[in-house]
Amino acid sequence: MAASALASAETGNPGAGDFGHALAQRERRFAAALLAPAFLALLATTTFPLIFLVWTSTYRMNLAMPFMNGFVGFENYRMLLIDERFWSSLLISLVYTGTTVALQVAIGLALALLVMDMKRGQGWFRLIAILPVVLSPAVVGMIWRTFMLAPDFGIVDFLAINAGLGSQNWLGDPTLAMVSVIAIHTWQWTPFAFMVLLASLASLPEDIYEAARLDRATAWQRFRRITLPLLRPAIVMVVIMRTMVALTAFAAIFTVTGGGPGTATEILNLYAYRKSFIELSIGYGAALAVALLIVTIVISGVLFALRRAK
Amino acid sequence: MTARRLRAAVILAISAVFLLAWAFPIIWSVLNSFKTDSDVLAYPPKLIFSPTLGAYREVLFGSGSILPNLVSSMIISVGTTIVTMLMAIPAAYALARLRFHGKKFAGFYVLTTQMLPPVGIIIPYFLVLQTIGWIDTYQGIILIYLSFSLPFAIWLLVSYFEDIPLEMEEAAYLDGASRLRTLWRIIIPQVRGGIAVTVVFVFLNAWNEFLFAVVLSGNTVRPVTVAMFNFVSVEQTLWAKLAAVSVLAMLPVVVLGVVAQKQIVKGLTIGAVKGGGRR
Repeated sequence: MAASALASAETGNPGAGDFGHALAQRERRFAAALLAPAFLALLATTTFPLIFLVWTSTYRMNLAMPFMNGFVGFENYRMLLIDERFWSSLLISLVYTGTTVALQVAIGLALALLVMDMKRGQGWFRLIAILPVVLSPAVVGMIWRTFMLAPDFGIVDFLAINAGLGSQNWLGDPTLAMVSVIAIHTWQWTPFAFMVLLASLASLPEDIYEAARLDRATAWQRFRRITLPLLRPAIVMVVIMRTMVALTAFAAIFTVTGGGPGTATEILNLYAYRKSFIELSIGYGAALAVALLIVTIVISGVLFALRRAK
Repeated sequence: MTARRLRAAVILAISAVFLLAWAFPIIWSVLNSFKTDSDVLAYPPKLIFSPTLGAYREVLFGSGSILPNLVSSMIISVGTTIVTMLMAIPAAYALARLRFHGKKFAGFYVLTTQMLPPVGIIIPYFLVLQTIGWIDTYQGIILIYLSFSLPFAIWLLVSYFEDIPLEMEEAAYLDGASRLRTLWRIIIPQVRGGIAVTVVFVFLNAWNEFLFAVVLSGNTVRPVTVAMFNFVSVEQTLWAKLAAVSVLAMLPVVVLGVVAQKQIVKGLTIGAVKGGGRR
C-alpha cells in the first residue's frame, strides 16, 4: 500500500520547459528519500556514539562510585599516558595484529599458489576453507580452549606429549598463551586470505605466463616478476581488512584467556572492555577506546598510503 | 618423471596437513558431542567410542536448556537481516545509480563508519540503552548491530547495482514507469544474486557477533554464543554438553557456509576489491 502511494506520487514525466533541471531535481529528491533511512541509522549507531564516546572520555564516570563523577577535561588522557597497562596492551595489540596478519597472508598466499596448480582436489580446499571463516570467533575460542588446548587430552597437548615436548600449560604460561591466541586467530582467518588470493590468482591473464614460459623464465622469476606485482592490490587489500579486524579482535581472546594470565594477552580492545564493564570505570574506558580509534586511523592511513604508492 | 611424481606427493602431503588442520577442530567437537564426559576426558583421546545422544538431550531438554538461546540468536539474526536489507537496498541503489550532490562524501562516510572499533560504540551505547531501558531487549541489540551490518551491506550491494546495464532502466523510464516502480520491478530482480549474498553475510555476522551481545544480553535476550559460558566455570567444565552446544551454535552457519559457498567466496572477493567488510 505504502509503496503504491509513493509510486503514484512519482508518476508523470516532467513536462516541456526546463526538462533537464526538473529531472535532476526529481532525481536528487528521490536519492534523498532512498538514502534517508540508512543514513539516519548510521548516524544514530556510529556517528552519535563517537561524539558521545569522546564526550564521555572527558568525564570521570565510575558506575561503582557515582558520587565521584564529574567533568575532568583531559585528566583521563593524562592518566592514560602514564598507565603502564595501557602501553603494554598497545604493544600486545601491535604484536597480535602484526603476527596474525603476516601469518595469514604468508600461509594463505603459499597455499593459494599450491592449490592453483592442482588439477584435482581444489574443490576440497574450497569446501574446507569456508568452514573456519563462517564460525563465530567465540565458538572457535571455546573449542580451542577446551578440546584442543586442555592439558593431556586436548589434541594439541596430546601431540606435544607424543612429539616429546611434554605437556604444556598452553593458556597458563604468559608466552604460550600469547602464542596460542595468535595461532587460533591465524587458524580461523588464514582461509579468508587463501580464498581471496586464490580467486585473484585465478583472474590473472594467462598469456603473460605463456610469454614468460617462452622466454624461459624460472618459476621463481615468474612469481617475483609477474604474479607478485599483479597480485599486489589484492594482497594489500587483504592486509588492510585483516589488520582492522585483528586490532579489534575480542571474542577469540575473551573466550580463550580472558586477557590472561594476568594481562599477558590483553589487547587494547580487551583492556577498554575490562576497564569499562568489569571495573566499571567508563570514563577511562572511553579514553582507551578513543586511543584505539586513533591507533586504527593511523595504521589504516599508513596502509592506504602504501596501497596508493607504487 | 620421478621428480614430477615426488613433487605431486609433496603437494598432496602438504594439502592433506592443511585440510586436516582446518577441519579437525570442528570434526573433533562433533565427535566429542556424542561422547560421555569420561570419554571426552580419556587419555589417549578416543576416536572410537560408543556414541550417545545424552549431551544433546541434556542441553536441549534438560534444566538450563539452551533452546531459548538458540531462539534468541535466530530472532536477533533474522531481525538484523530484515532491517538491514530494507535500509541498505535503497541506499545502495542511490549510491550506485543516482546523481546528487555529495554522493562521493556519502560513499566515503559509509566506508569510514566501519573504522570505529566496536568497543568504542558499545561504551556510549550501553549508557544510552541503560537510560531508556533497552538493555536485554531485541530492539536494543538489533539497533546496534546495524552499526556493522549496514555499512557492509551497502558496500556489497553497491557493487552489484553498478553491474546492471543502464539501458534497462532507461527503457523503463521511456515507458513512463516511475522511479520507484522501476527500482522495484526492473532493478531489484536483476540484483537478486547480490541480495542473496548480502543476506548470507549479514546473517552470519549477526549470528556470530559477541562483544555487543555479551554487554547487552540478560535473562530475556541471551544468544547462544553468550549462553555457552554456562558450561564452563572455574569449578568445572561440562565437557560433553559444551561440545553439544558448540555444535548447535555452529550448525546454522556451517550449513549456510556449505550451501552458499560460491556466493560467500564471491562476496569476500568483492569486499577485498572494493574495500568493504569488517569481521
